[in-house]
Amino acid sequence: MSLALDIRPKLADDRDAQIERVLLRADIDDFNAAYAAALDSQKLVEWSEMFTDDASYVVLSRENHDGGLPVGLIYCEGRPMIFDRAFALEKTAMFAPRYLRHIISNTQVLGIEPDGAIRARANYVVLQVLFDRPDATLHQVGVYHDVFRREPGGLRLAKRHCVYDNLLVPNALCLPV
Amino acid sequence: MSWQFAIALGALRPEGVTGVEIDGTPVALYRLGDEVFATHGICTHALAFLADGFVEDGKIECPLHQGLFDIRTGAALCAPLTEPVKTYAVKVEGDSVYVDLDGAAQGAAADAAASNDGAASATSTRRVVIAGAGQAAAAAIRALRDAGFTGSIDLIGAEAHLPYERPPLSKGVLLGTQQHDACARLRAADLTALAVTAHLNTKAVSIDAGQRIVALSNGETLAYDELLIATGGRARALPIPGADLPGVLSLRTYEDSLALGEALRRAKTVAIVGGGFIGMELASAAVELGCSAVVLEREPGLMSRVMPAPLGRAFRSLAEKHGVEVRTSTSVEAIAQDGARLVVRTNEGSIVADLVVMAVGLEPETALAAQAGCDVQNGIVVDAAGRTSVSNIWAAGDCALHHVEVSGRRVRLESWHNAEQQGAAAGRAIAGAAEAAEQTTLPWFWTDQFGLNIQVLGIPTAADAVARTGDDVAKGSIYRTFDAVTRQLTGVIAFSSPAAIRAGRNELTSGAPFDPASADAVILSNETTQEETMNAPIKMPATSAQLENRTYHWPTEGLTRVPDWVYTDEAIYKREVEKIFHGRSWNYVALEDEIRNPGDFIRSNVGPTPVVVSRAEDGSINVFENRCSHRAAEFCRDLRGNAKEFVCPYHQWSYDLKGNLAGVPFRRGVNGAGGMPKEFKNSEHGLKRLNVTTHRGVVFASYCDDMESFADYLGPEVLAEFEATFDGRTPRVLGHYRHSLPGNWKLYHENLKDPYHATLLHTFLVTFGLLVAGNKSLMLADASGRHGVMASAKSDTTNLAADTKKEMRAYKEGMSLSDPRFMKFVDEFDSPWSVTMITVWPNLIVQREMNTLGIRQIVPTGPNEFIMKWTMFGFEGDDAEMTQHRLRQGNLMGPAGFLGLEDNEAIKFVQDGMISVPDGEHVVELDPGNDGTSDTLISEAAIRGMYRHWREVMEL
Repeated sequence: MSLALDIRPKLADDRDAQIERVLLRADIDDFNAAYAAALDSQKLVEWSEMFTDDASYVVLSRENHDGGLPVGLIYCEGRPMIFDRAFALEKTAMFAPRYLRHIISNTQVLGIEPDGAIRARANYVVLQVLFDRPDATLHQVGVYHDVFRREPGGLRLAKRHCVYDNLLVPNALCLPV
Repeated sequence: MSWQFAIALGALRPEGVTGVEIDGTPVALYRLGDEVFATHGICTHALAFLADGFVEDGKIECPLHQGLFDIRTGAALCAPLTEPVKTYAVKVEGDSVYVDLDGAAQGAAADAAASNDGAASATSTRRVVIAGAGQAAAAAIRALRDAGFTGSIDLIGAEAHLPYERPPLSKGVLLGTQQHDACARLRAADLTALAVTAHLNTKAVSIDAGQRIVALSNGETLAYDELLIATGGRARALPIPGADLPGVLSLRTYEDSLALGEALRRAKTVAIVGGGFIGMELASAAVELGCSAVVLEREPGLMSRVMPAPLGRAFRSLAEKHGVEVRTSTSVEAIAQDGARLVVRTNEGSIVADLVVMAVGLEPETALAAQAGCDVQNGIVVDAAGRTSVSNIWAAGDCALHHVEVSGRRVRLESWHNAEQQGAAAGRAIAGAAEAAEQTTLPWFWTDQFGLNIQVLGIPTAADAVARTGDDVAKGSIYRTFDAVTRQLTGVIAFSSPAAIRAGRNELTSGAPFDPASADAVILSNETTQEETMNAPIKMPATSAQLENRTYHWPTEGLTRVPDWVYTDEAIYKREVEKIFHGRSWNYVALEDEIRNPGDFIRSNVGPTPVVVSRAEDGSINVFENRCSHRAAEFCRDLRGNAKEFVCPYHQWSYDLKGNLAGVPFRRGVNGAGGMPKEFKNSEHGLKRLNVTTHRGVVFASYCDDMESFADYLGPEVLAEFEATFDGRTPRVLGHYRHSLPGNWKLYHENLKDPYHATLLHTFLVTFGLLVAGNKSLMLADASGRHGVMASAKSDTTNLAADTKKEMRAYKEGMSLSDPRFMKFVDEFDSPWSVTMITVWPNLIVQREMNTLGIRQIVPTGPNEFIMKWTMFGFEGDDAEMTQHRLRQGNLMGPAGFLGLEDNEAIKFVQDGMISVPDGEHVVELDPGNDGTSDTLISEAAIRGMYRHWREVMEL
């Protein structure tokens, strides 16, 4: 994707356009901070509400992504399926208790579609603490490929594809990224 | 009659043997009950005092080579004896024992033998031809006649001699203390007595197995009904410059031994190339003849291919105590003449010697057998009776393999005892005598070094652990070798202690695990001592010293208990790699779809071992180790790709798509200097290639070259389920998951042979009505117990009985999915089951969870962890919606799947429990009395079936 070219500051940019971009990025950073907070406090239903009705949420390896292979660890089409994921994890899934910390950074706004959808990207790191060992481990490291839409309540994710670099998932991915 | 006083009656050992000397003649006296008998004191086979032997059932067993004489008659009862021992008349008067050296005991064997003369008259028309006239041939001839064979026997020998035994060649003959006659196994007189026609100075040059005709080197032909190949071997030659110089000798024949003895007497220094048994015996003889000896051994330890390291060190220290210099990790590269002396160039500098002896082993003489069409694998393949793969052709002795595997390999036992055993077995079988049910005598050989007679019973292997009783390398030292895991004894090595060898027979055959404490033995470390480290190459310490003190007992309850060590022990894991993943198994490595075109490759694994799977230009699929033949580099680093060849980046060695070595840079050196040795052949240095098979687009590899077909490996029932999933459509890869799992790899198999957990752990299944305990289901196990299929059919849950719901605490009434699309089942398979999980031993799970399909490949990395690689797939012809459906349904499985994550967590919990609270056992009792297929979900029968198989393969 050559979209990165679109967002290089243009000489012709006026000050208003620059401010617009900064504000947009700040909006996205705020969104990501709230997103991380929802996951870190394991409020999964709250997390599921941060997506649009038709959202695509996929967690896939860089190996698959780069190879053009579609398989994802999590593969959700639409908010109902994202909700089912959240609900099932909270109500039925058995996994060891853990603390997670999502760190989201290096936010880039890649461009704005004619319909107002915002294409963006950010790096993420997930740290995990299990209760049988005192240390935090690097559970996943990757990049979000996002499309945001402005809805009445604010920004929502129409697409978040989490492409992780680490080839091996350490044991299991119990909570979303 | 001249009675001479021998000894006081009270001084005789009751039920034993006592040695005396009368007029300079050694006499052995035996007290059996109230009677006393006397024989000559020395064995008729070799110089051994019968007084050091053992008395049992009226027989005396020679301490040296275990020959048996009848005490009353002196008759020779078994090999190696061919002549009776002289007996003497005895009388007892009061407390005095008298012996008459001129009078034989009544009924002595010498008289009895005379009446047997001429018994072997040729009356049958069957013709036996024996190619090769060594010890095995002689043993066969005696066995043929003993078993009543009356046909003709033709013996063809390349040497000028009738059969003789070779052990004295590196001992007595070399020292000049033993003449040829003493080595004879068949004498001229025996030819007449046994009706044998000998063709000496003659070789068998070819065999027409169809016409049953042997062509001889003198132009004659011999027709046969049965042909025994006992061609022995020749001393291995090193392909190095100067190997043919005068003064470079080797040892195989009587003449070799005479020449070598003479040369040793003249020489001041001798360099012996090869630190095996022959090399060390030669060093011993050299020292005795006043010559200083240096032994050059290529390996880091002496006898390291056949003996564990501590024994190699024992033999080394024995030699060094007697002034022999031993240099290990020293490869001889060339020999050159320097005036009257020889310069031996090695990788560790040069050595000057008057004489060089090559003792680098034996090359079996198998060309004749190969030409006749016999199966030859570094030795002629034979069964216990000596039958080769070609009818009416038999083989025995140094040229033949031992009939059973030793540590998973067919080996040659190049020993006197083996030649005797195999020759006699073939002779008996050819004569039509009933074959012994199973050869019960243990392999055995002896070596004489530096004044000690060292006997080796059983078959020790290099990997065995060693325990020592008594002092280090001294008269009376006993070393026992045993399997570090099972504690089964594999060998007893006794230094001048025939009693220990005698006792060792029972120890080795009893099958009881070896207990060092009861043998008052210390376990020897594989590690070298500091002193040895100074002048020996660095050798890493053996895996773990504490392992050697570990014993492995399966619980007495049997398969209903599985002990923790099965899952947590490092030695067990290593054994699994050897016996299971590298053993007789088909290991999944790839889907054909991943290597569709020539040059396509992927990295994969067989067990923990990294391999490359590639498609060559001819369309063939090849699997080879990802390890450069040169310096071991794991050369292929990409997960997948397309290549014309594989090039190791370190030194640019290149391999073709089949793993053959194609190019070695600067192979010829530069400007005539450097480079590989002349005889370096690319064809001998290819990558280690594995056996490959495919089935319905799935690729499997095996370290075993003679694997059964994949269909036979699976068995009909599991194959049918495999083919229900791989139903003929072409699989297309949709992507991968890879995850580590901190648990033992077998727990994953067990998870899928344990339908009990499905409704209890996987609340999701029950909550959303996918599987309940009342569903139609099956847990299938194949006949061997190693493979399995867990199958179930989706059904309606509305009619579920209330108590069944209660049992499954997970059942939550009224819960439903907001978007149930991913639970949809498209009935695309010809199968009554909506879900099948096939476990294909040892590394594959085929998942058909409704419409989400996946391969799971187990890559063990140790006892406590493995990697799981998933290859999710659909089929060619799937439309976009079907592909989407498979991807959506993938939410059930994998490391983030609703079910998959729970299995991973549960397996981790199990391993955590064993690590935190060790040395316990698992209770696997559900569905008692069954260890195979079960049609109830509440069963652990398939797990027990798997361990039945596992214990067989692991020999535990």
